[in-house]
Amino acid sequence: MGEVIVITSGKGGVGKTTTTANLGVGLALHNKKVVLIDADIGLRNLDVVMGLENRIVYDLVAVVEGHCRTKQALIRDKRYENLYLLPAAQTRDKNAVSPEQMRKLCAELKEDYDYILVDCPAGIEQGFRNAIAGADQAIIVTTPEVSAVRDADRIIGLLEAEELKARLLINRLRPDMVKRGDMMDIDDIVEILAIELIGVIPDDEKIIVSTNRGEPVAANANNSLSGQAYINVAKRILGESVAFLDLYQNQSFFSRLKKLIGFGS
Amino acid sequence: MSKLAVEFKGTKDGVTIYCLEDASFSDILSDLAERLKQRAAFFGEASVKVDVGQRKLTAKEKAALKGVIEENSSLKLLSVQSAKERKKAVVPAKRKGETEDLRLDGFKEGRSLVIKKTLRSGQYIRFPGNVIVLGDVNPGAEIVAEGDIYVFGTLRGIAHAGVSGDRNASVVALRLAPTQLRIADVISRAPDDSSFPDQPEYAYVSEDRIMIAAITTKLGS
Repeated sequence: MGEVIVITSGKGGVGKTTTTANLGVGLALHNKKVVLIDADIGLRNLDVVMGLENRIVYDLVAVVEGHCRTKQALIRDKRYENLYLLPAAQTRDKNAVSPEQMRKLCAELKEDYDYILVDCPAGIEQGFRNAIAGADQAIIVTTPEVSAVRDADRIIGLLEAEELKARLLINRLRPDMVKRGDMMDIDDIVEILAIELIGVIPDDEKIIVSTNRGEPVAANANNSLSGQAYINVAKRILGESVAFLDLYQNQSFFSRLKKLIGFGS
Repeated sequence: MSKLAVEFKGTKDGVTIYCLEDASFSDILSDLAERLKQRAAFFGEASVKVDVGQRKLTAKEKAALKGVIEENSSLKLLSVQSAKERKKAVVPAKRKGETEDLRLDGFKEGRSLVIKKTLRSGQYIRFPGNVIVLGDVNPGAEIVAEGDIYVFGTLRGIAHAGVSGDRNASVVALRLAPTQLRIADVISRAPDDSSFPDQPEYAYVSEDRIMIAAITTKLGS
């Protein structure tokens, strides 16, 4: 019996889709059978980030409307044979799917797959309702910006109302800016949101290159700090205890090290 | 309900009102009045020509026509012309051997939809005939046609020609760089490491596969 994890944030552009793609790769690397569902109907991106856009024939809406079998719509990743994508429809909108249909779909996929990651659209409307409907737990993505943290807080409140367990992933952290006092630090964010931290991903130019190319950074984790960070998050999802990366390694690291020790379990 | 006596046609110079040959002059006036009332807001202050066909109008009839137009709309009457004064349709030039490499049997005449804009992501066109796009088709946009698809621009999205099973249908584009091409029941996708030639190409089905060929023009030969 698999587990459904929704990747959500409230705010747009904080890295939900990138996170979904990389965690999918990370879990697949650990020989888990993984399905990524793009719930952002009408503004799909996950297929592009995965480099699978040109393979789409059927989509999420086709599945729930019964035009095809679920298996027919699943696109096998070109790199990992136990990683699949269920793309969103692009020519429809969020109302094409109902929470009840999502719940049924997730339940069906859980029978055959270990992890189902749902890439949630920005916002708190119908698309969000659909995305969380079938979820067992949630990962909240935020960036170290006041606006993103504010929205994350709102989302956590909504998820608590649904009794969904949520963990926090801080994305696009820039240690140099934190050091100068120009960016919120990890513990500032954790203090406000007060949920378990599952990972911190450093800001990385390679992410932009990789999303443009359709090759998630986690696939070549040795080449980038962000890729390694995603792999670590995947391991934590699997229940392993992995130390947090020292993102301040090139800085005045003694003072930073002290901070990290607080999270380093 | 009064019989249809006039026809409106939009041109780049304004509106032309054609009076049908078999309609009586009084029918023309009443039909014109009625339809102008309905569409006055739509036409605005466009300029209008009236084409009376073969008939010859007296000065009084012309004045009546002008009166009806001015009374029921803000259109500006430029002139009244007869069939003889109509501009001749542009005759296409014939070039020898121009389409030598095209499998012409694949292309069919028929109902066509002309889209004069770029189709963007999420836009979906389905038409029971040919589709002609004067613009690009971007990734995420989809055209589904029962006939052929012609893109006078770059085709980057999905094109599905011959959707009801016609394997002779074709897809033509000035630059063919689609996410996916589908003809009838045959689907192909772009190669993962693709570069697309900068010249017009067309796609057709041959032995269960979609083939792409360049359209070469041999001018003056």
